Amino acid sequence: MKNLKFVFSLLIVGSVLLFTGCGKDDPKPENIPEAITKATLTFTSDGSAPVIVTATDPDGDGPKPRVLSGPIALVKNTSYTLTVTLINELAKPTDPEYNVTDEVEEEADEHLFFFAWTNNTFSNPTGNGNIDNRADAVNYNDKDAKNLPLGLSTAWTTANVASDIIAGTFNIVLKHQPDLKSATSKSTDGESDLDLTFDLSVR
Amino acid sequence: MDENGRPMLGATVTIKTTGSVTDENGSFEFTKLCEGKYQLEVRFLGYKTKSSSIRINSNKIWNVQLESDSTSLSEVVVVEKHFSLGATSTYSSLSGKALQETMGKSLGESLRELPGVNTIQTGPAIFKPVIHGVHSQRVLILNNGIRQEGQNWGAEHAPEVDQFIASDIVVVKDAAAVKYGADALGGVVLVNPAKLPTEAGVGGQFHLIGATNNSSGVVSGFLEGGSKKVPGFGWRTQGTIKKAGDSRAADYVLSNTGFEEQNFSLSTGYHKERKGIDVFFSHFNTSIGILRGTAVGSAADLANALEREPPQYTTAFTYDIKPPRQSVQHTLLKVNAHTNVGKNEFRLQYGFQNNSRREFDFRLGALTEIPALGFQLQTHTLDADWERSHSDRFQSCWGINVLYQTNSKIDGTQTIPFIPNFDHYSAGLFAVEKWTLDKWVIEAGLRYDVRSYEVVGFNFQNRIYRTSLGFANFSGTLSGKRKMGDYGWLTSSLSSAWRPPNVAELYSLGTHQSAAAIEYGLLLDEKTSEVKEFAKTAQVEKAVKWVAGYKVENQKISFEVTGYVNYIFDYIYLRPRGITQSLRGIFPYFRYTQTDASFLGVDIFTAYPINSFITLTGKASLLRATDERQNDFLVFIPSNRADVGIRYQSKNANKMNWNIETKLRWVGMQTRAPKVITPREIITAQEQGIDLIGQNPDNFDFANAPDAYMLLSISAGTNWKFKKSKLDLRLSCDNLTNSTYREYTNRLRYFANDVGRNLTLGIHYSF
Repeated sequence: MKNLKFVFSLLIVGSVLLFTGCGKDDPKPENIPEAITKATLTFTSDGSAPVIVTATDPDGDGPKPRVLSGPIALVKNTSYTLTVTLINELAKPTDPEYNVTDEVEEEADEHLFFFAWTNNTFSNPTGNGNIDNRADAVNYNDKDAKNLPLGLSTAWTTANVASDIIAGTFNIVLKHQPDLKSATSKSTDGESDLDLTFDLSVR
Repeated sequence: MDENGRPMLGATVTIKTTGSVTDENGSFEFTKLCEGKYQLEVRFLGYKTKSSSIRINSNKIWNVQLESDSTSLSEVVVVEKHFSLGATSTYSSLSGKALQETMGKSLGESLRELPGVNTIQTGPAIFKPVIHGVHSQRVLILNNGIRQEGQNWGAEHAPEVDQFIASDIVVVKDAAAVKYGADALGGVVLVNPAKLPTEAGVGGQFHLIGATNNSSGVVSGFLEGGSKKVPGFGWRTQGTIKKAGDSRAADYVLSNTGFEEQNFSLSTGYHKERKGIDVFFSHFNTSIGILRGTAVGSAADLANALEREPPQYTTAFTYDIKPPRQSVQHTLLKVNAHTNVGKNEFRLQYGFQNNSRREFDFRLGALTEIPALGFQLQTHTLDADWERSHSDRFQSCWGINVLYQTNSKIDGTQTIPFIPNFDHYSAGLFAVEKWTLDKWVIEAGLRYDVRSYEVVGFNFQNRIYRTSLGFANFSGTLSGKRKMGDYGWLTSSLSSAWRPPNVAELYSLGTHQSAAAIEYGLLLDEKTSEVKEFAKTAQVEKAVKWVAGYKVENQKISFEVTGYVNYIFDYIYLRPRGITQSLRGIFPYFRYTQTDASFLGVDIFTAYPINSFITLTGKASLLRATDERQNDFLVFIPSNRADVGIRYQSKNANKMNWNIETKLRWVGMQTRAPKVITPREIITAQEQGIDLIGQNPDNFDFANAPDAYMLLSISAGTNWKFKKSKLDLRLSCDNLTNSTYREYTNRLRYFANDVGRNLTLGIHYSF
């Protein structure tokens, strides 16, 4: 009987100890450096206002769909420089995580932008872009340490189209290609960091 | 053995009233004995009957020599197991030679040797046991008597158990919830170490295993002993080191599938006739690589990966483990005591477990070095039970289980945590009664559980939410066993069980390793991110399982057939529900959803000795799972499979004997698989503004079920017995023909072929 009492008293003391937890403290929220919540494509040309389109997704991987502005309304027979900026609004603007563009630039040897557009939209580069075929022309303005293109800045000249392009598309893809990036690595290699398709018009 | 050292088939061995018959090796076995003194009697026609009195307090091997009526050794394995196993439950076990043959494999992989047990796999190193078609939170693992508590919500989360601590592994296939707790709804895996020695002297075992496929090596062993000065005192120290590089499919290297493991355990105990106490400490540490080609960022990446072979990033063989990878540590401290007072036995045990899991993915820059997912799970368990023998014919066992658990995110992952932090309290009370009649054993049990969760997590906006919820319910079981003839038994068991959803099933959010999909818990609204109330949204899982079996074992044949029906109401599973978009592209998203599911199956096992040297074996598992509410199929259900084998055992010479065995395994194609929607089809439809998943009410899979396949294996072993020691050598070859195949229940089937030929050499020494 003594044993029995001992066993049960131990049990009761144990249970009491176990169940006298205190309320849970708030866990510390994490910074989320990798989310890209806003991508801005800026087409600048001499002598006219820049053409700016944005893609926003305030909740990152969350359920809310992304919102793309547009169309990218370009003027025919004009030269543009396209610059891409990526920011993460889940971080504070003062945090280093806020500016994802810098991260991509620092890791230029693992990143590469690919582009695809409605055929013959541009006179330079010609064709429909390098997403379907890496060898196709895209005018990269920037290079990584190994002299391979990056694509945060690119050069474009719209074609002198006879009839306006109204329902064109412009697809931009950023691939993370660690150990894979080369002069021939394709848009299907690596993992997608960005994949957006905007409407495009040229008048 | 007879006087010439040949094994004697068909000798009758009795303990008290139970009997056993030696097999073709002259071996016999008594299981489920209580501690105590037994009168052992061995009889064989034409030989003198030999009887001796032995004290059983642990697994014992007893060698018996018979003198012809006017003698030699055979092995007797007496395995003591608790009443708690349930005299009438349906179970299979791996022990002795069969267990040794699986050494070097992980726990999950070894269990596949048992009829009715399969695995859900993520590559060559991660195996989760599947019992009669159900797994993860529905299968409880009792590691040395303590319920294993780790992050087991993902298909890529293998049990954190060093298989080498086990002297036998038992799989209970009934809904064993009454004895083990509400979540043992699908079954229980018991990993039992040998009892500590109580007599003076030092013994031990060493294992050295090498395999060619992944160029791996395993070293494991233990030393144990007792004390002369303090009779009853025993100790054991045990350790295992494993290192493996990339596995190889028939035609290419499966890059980044290497793993490492370092484990050790220490135990000590003091046992007297009527009481005993044990302390056990173990530490498990592993680092596992996941096929690098599985790393995908969007539906487009997944589509590319499915269409590509060999997988992306396939390189030369290496031991390096890069992301995606996991690092998991599990520590267990256990103290248990028991005492016998008259016809009562009281048992008390306390366990503390600390489980840390970190998962690393390819990330931006230096983030690759920090885990994308990190959790620490700490669990305290306290179990007490009271077993009483009212008479030889009536026994009962009552008990209480208490659990307190906290899960905390490991700070600094720089991701929104996939599962929230939580406190979990559980308590359960049970009673099991057993009646033994002339030809019948009847068992009935009832259990009541309460559980509560207090949850603090982050939603997709990285804002904090808090919630708490509670559950309570009954489980019950009624089972019986009837003796059929001299050697046969008929068993039948009906059990009802329930399972409160796991926190991950309720609140998970985001992506986790190598699943190019976003997952939402049952209680998260995918449209608003808001956390819904349990009572209005979901139900607990309830199951009714009926298992019936017939088993016969005598000198002519050993045969076992088990049939089962498991109907699970409000079965929780991940179901594809739609497309979600981020700037990275589109993703399919999955939601934990409830349906009614049925699992109907048959397991067959047979061994037929043609003569005293050659034995034929056969095994088959058939399973039919159905989503009853939608009249549809469920994904990742093991297909039908069968094994046939032939084994030759040499004449049992005194010092050395050998055996050779070949096995052919056939695995059917899963024809009861949900329809296929490929990621490419999803993307193409999406471009036309159609959400192929959202508008599809059925279950689906991303790829077709792989074709049926056959694997041939061959193994040969030999052992030498010395005065006090034994040396075993075993050489085996799996997938002898180096065939190319994919297994339906391996998540790597989307990306790559399964492993090719593997040659294993194992050296086992015990003294």
